[in-house]
Amino acid sequence: MSGDTVRAHSAEPSASAIRFERVIKRFGELAAVDDLNLEIRKGEFFSLLGPSGCGKTTTLRMVAGFDQPSQGHIYLDGEAVETVPPYKRNVNTVFQSYALFEHLNIEDNVAFGLKRRKVPSDEIRSRVAEALELVELHGRGKARPRELSGGQKQRVALARALVNRPSVLLLDEPLGALDLKLRKQMQVELKGIQREVGITFLYVTHDQEEALAMSDRIAIMERGVVKQCSSPEEVYEHPSGPFVAGFIGVSNLLNGVVQNGGVKLASGATCVADVPSDCPPGSEVHLSVRPEKIWLDELEEGMVALDGTVVERVYVGTTTQVIVELAPGMRVTALEQNVARARSDDRWQIGDRVRLGWHREHARVLR
Amino acid sequence: MSTVESRPTAPARPPAGADAEGAPLKPPKAFDRPRFLKFFMGVFFLFLFVPIALVVLFSFNSSRSLQDFQGFSTRWYQTFFETESLRDSLVASLQIALVTMVIATILGTMLAYGLVRARTRVSSSLNVLMLLPLVTPEIVAGASALLLFTQVKLDLSLTTIILAHITFSISYVTVVVRARLVALSREVEEASMDLGATRWQTFRLVTLPALWPAVLAAGLLVFALSFDDFVLSFFTTGESPQPLPVRIWAEIRFGVRPTINAIGTFMLVISVVSIGLALLLPRLFGKRESGLKVLLGREGA
Repeated sequence: MSGDTVRAHSAEPSASAIRFERVIKRFGELAAVDDLNLEIRKGEFFSLLGPSGCGKTTTLRMVAGFDQPSQGHIYLDGEAVETVPPYKRNVNTVFQSYALFEHLNIEDNVAFGLKRRKVPSDEIRSRVAEALELVELHGRGKARPRELSGGQKQRVALARALVNRPSVLLLDEPLGALDLKLRKQMQVELKGIQREVGITFLYVTHDQEEALAMSDRIAIMERGVVKQCSSPEEVYEHPSGPFVAGFIGVSNLLNGVVQNGGVKLASGATCVADVPSDCPPGSEVHLSVRPEKIWLDELEEGMVALDGTVVERVYVGTTTQVIVELAPGMRVTALEQNVARARSDDRWQIGDRVRLGWHREHARVLR
Repeated sequence: MSTVESRPTAPARPPAGADAEGAPLKPPKAFDRPRFLKFFMGVFFLFLFVPIALVVLFSFNSSRSLQDFQGFSTRWYQTFFETESLRDSLVASLQIALVTMVIATILGTMLAYGLVRARTRVSSSLNVLMLLPLVTPEIVAGASALLLFTQVKLDLSLTTIILAHITFSISYVTVVVRARLVALSREVEEASMDLGATRWQTFRLVTLPALWPAVLAAGLLVFALSFDDFVLSFFTTGESPQPLPVRIWAEIRFGVRPTINAIGTFMLVISVVSIGLALLLPRLFGKRESGLKVLLGREGA
């Protein structure tokens, strides 16, 4: 490794691989990233998740060095890097378009970074072979990028980045161009590779399932601001607000007003719920309940219960979605597992009156 | 087109009675390609090539006659190569074309790179402005070049011809190279820098290899254009040596001699070869795309 990489002259070991300190990035009037404060730990699989235009890719590009923050600092291994050009940063990127060099064969693509760092040629050969082995492409080294399938190109892009042993690997929607089945398979493989090489992954995606499946921690962004940053379980089970609850998975968001010890829904019914201390009585809130947490009939003692009418039933294989109308305009989706002992398909008919309910701790009051 | 062609001429009829409406299937007449289109095409190519073919044919005529072909000989070629002033003109034309090709290709490629990658506020208007030399009547370009050279007191010589040729050739190079550059994703260049290549290394190791077929094609195109050019050369040429097309024009004023046919044929060969190379070489390098696609800017990323 040559002397001008960041890692080589990093003063002291630091626990964080990347740290954002009050980072703002403006494009004209628009703040694409607004006051970002994040710390990504070494060896972590960290995802930036959000809809398109939320600033996640801009954040990634600032770490890579393609964009400079308008304000604030980015630390890589404890060292501020705002003024360091991309080719001197010890990070590597996997692009959504793969961005392979079409005029070079696979081996030369993978060796590109090592050659720039003047690594001795026999070491290059062994490291390239090792990297191709890692992504299961050994023996295809002489092929041209255009001879490979999308999934294979993706692996080459990954090998080309990992072979340099960067301190952080940046992945910009790397699976976005693959079909669903291949994407699922690559998710598992990516996670496995990350565990194997132990490199910090900063992963950008708009696919919440992907983020949940792979990440150690997820930061959910909306309009340049991080809305929540925690583990997948935490993000799913305890969303910090309506945006997160709606973006991660499916959630029933019921409008209501805080009343002593519960929420009075717009339909008129009152539900017992754990109201956070910052929601005084009378404040408008959303009650968020995951569809799989909702029971239909056969309720247990102590559950929050509501009455409604079945308006739709959608069979989706492993589960059946039942949509229940509590009041005009207020609908709740419930998921029923189609398990072996299942009741017959037609347990619910459209128009049936049902009683639904959930355990009090499964409902979240969100402002 | 090919679907029409591949339609079987004698379709297998469905077994009688299997289909109640089993009328014999005939391809509808209206969708047949009209015969007269082929005829027009033939006429077009006839008009296009007959004059050229005549020049080539009579360049090998053994007599002075421009009407009847009396026998095969290469005497006019001999005259051409043995006349010193004509030989000088040929050398001058080749010099002009080569220097123009090299300089215009370098400048045009740089301009294309700037236009595509600099992304300034004015680059869209510059993109239009750059096309201006392509639509400017050559006689205007020639007259204005002459005016400029007289203003700055530059003596007319090969240099002035080369300068004028470069000026109008740059646009051709830029159009061809830009099409290719637009198709090259910016992410590829970013990936290169991401992997430790400086900007210059990135241009040399990633951008240029990707642009190479287009650069080559553009260069050869410029060579052919410059070698052929008459109007600009006429305005900017000095006394001697004059480029070949100007020389031919001067000769013709005193009556058409068969040597002209030989010179014409020779020029035709050089132009065809350079255009041919422009089309073929990218294919040899890139293995996939033909130079025609590169020239028309139609290839994918």
